[in-house]
Amino acid sequence: MSTEVKPSWTASWLPFISNWQTGLAAPVLVKEAPYLAILPWLVSVGVIFLTLSGLVLAVYYSPAHAFESIQFIDRNVHNGWLVQSFHETGASMVFGAAYLALLRGLWVRGYKAPFAAVWIWRMAIFGLLLIAGWIGFTLSGGAMADWSLTRAAQAALLLTGAPGAFGTWFFGGPNGAGTLPRMLVFHLILGVLVLGGVAAANSARKAVTPVPPRGAVAFHPYYTTQYFVALSVFALIFAVLVFFAPRFGQPFLNLVPADPLVVPAKLLFPWYLAPLSGLGSLLPGIYGGIIGVVGGLGVLFALPWLDRSGPNYRPGALYKFLTLVLALDVLGLGWAASTSSGLGSVLVMVFGFWYFLHFLVLTPLVTAMEAE
Amino acid sequence: MRLIFAAALAAVLAGPALADPSQGVFGSTDKAAAQRGLLVYQTVCAACHALGAVHYRDLEALGLSPDQVAGFAAGIKMQDGQPATLDDVFRDPGMGAAAFGGAVPPDLSGIVAQRAGGVAYVDGVLTGYAAAPAGVTLLPAHYYNTMYPGGQIAMPNVLRDHAVTYADGTPATAAQEAADVTAFLDWTADPNLDARHEIGVRAVMFLVFMSGVAIAAKRRVWREVV
Repeated sequence: MSTEVKPSWTASWLPFISNWQTGLAAPVLVKEAPYLAILPWLVSVGVIFLTLSGLVLAVYYSPAHAFESIQFIDRNVHNGWLVQSFHETGASMVFGAAYLALLRGLWVRGYKAPFAAVWIWRMAIFGLLLIAGWIGFTLSGGAMADWSLTRAAQAALLLTGAPGAFGTWFFGGPNGAGTLPRMLVFHLILGVLVLGGVAAANSARKAVTPVPPRGAVAFHPYYTTQYFVALSVFALIFAVLVFFAPRFGQPFLNLVPADPLVVPAKLLFPWYLAPLSGLGSLLPGIYGGIIGVVGGLGVLFALPWLDRSGPNYRPGALYKFLTLVLALDVLGLGWAASTSSGLGSVLVMVFGFWYFLHFLVLTPLVTAMEAE
Repeated sequence: MRLIFAAALAAVLAGPALADPSQGVFGSTDKAAAQRGLLVYQTVCAACHALGAVHYRDLEALGLSPDQVAGFAAGIKMQDGQPATLDDVFRDPGMGAAAFGGAVPPDLSGIVAQRAGGVAYVDGVLTGYAAAPAGVTLLPAHYYNTMYPGGQIAMPNVLRDHAVTYADGTPATAAQEAADVTAFLDWTADPNLDARHEIGVRAVMFLVFMSGVAIAAKRRVWREVV
């Protein structure tokens, strides 16, 4: 007669559950981490939510009739307007959390060793989110979205060499009947890639996060309750936007169906793409636009090396002040890129110049000064 | 002919008025105004403008009974000569650009959402006709309008006092007709407004409650470690 304890059903068949249980109960975390440290988790929750709501939209969406099919979802599918609003506003929430997490990362210098790898993965997620966000915007089939796609596809055709070959493959030639179906596929696959990036960033973070020598706490119940608070407030803000401001941050002219004979005077983007579109318009020409966008994201990737201070320096007052100025600068850049007044194009230049000045000149200078 | 049709329409629409004229964040579609606006729309606007995103069956959401909507649709002759059914979209008059000096009358389904200023803009265009000031030379087949960008619009001033007769006794001034048809187009641009606000109030109340519970639970759990 055996005295062995019979392993539970979940231990035999779903062993990852007991791994989770062990992990959740292990006292390895610092006490009272700030709420803002939850923002990257909220981004990944938001991406999963976008995946699910996007799945519902995808079964009704037809890229051949982009604008009409979203009208159909909004007006004729039961609760389709709700799911469509979930997806559109969910994108705003994900980017809101991502921009705030980025700002906090700059504020606490979250890119410093040993967290450089975590930072790089998170910037990769941010870049993928921006591409997925832009493609999702083009899928709406509105006037702004379609003309943005048309210009991007035309620009890709004018590139030569490897970028040209990639651009031609990506867009499949000028914006036509075949373009939006491709965009739909890339939109879906980018969502999956973002989830993969989240997994990579999490394992990178776990590998380098030190266990506090004394007074460590377990995730459950301490951080489960804290995360629950963050998720509730996040959901509350989301609900207010979905139900009372469903078109928050979206250009209203995108609610006009695209017309190949009517060119918008100025391309307008959702708020989360506006700063990057401003950087893209800094330099003239196709390569100027690419340099602006790639450079704008590239300086974020390069931050672990642009910061010249050693590993143990706390951020000084001047650096923190400049970080806040940068936050206002990015807000201003987004506003200037979205306004149709003549002042906008001048301010885009000023704010865009300051953006690159901050990362390429002020950050190395100030961090080196403060490290002395 | 138009007067007869308008009178028939008014009779069809003479149902119980389900008015809730509150506006704002918690506002709902003013169904009485939108019903009057439907009458104006069908009598005046529908001669030139399409409403391609709206089916006749959708009108039940304005508080019309299924019989009233069926009667309304039956009174409309589609391009093929058959009376409209509930599942038809609003009849497209197929007005080409030639009729208005090159300007195609736009589809009005989403016009309130598609223009800066929304309701105020649409109402402003409908009531903004005036004599051209001295020094303004109008383009051929254009009319002076204070609200329209550039001041010259290809649509003539179509709303007149008593263009329709309202079943609920509201005096049919041109300004009233403009306000009512704007309310109707506000509904066509955002048909889910009522459901959205109704669910929204409940969702927000629930999430406020849930946030409170979450904060209380978090404090209770952390009390023993900190």
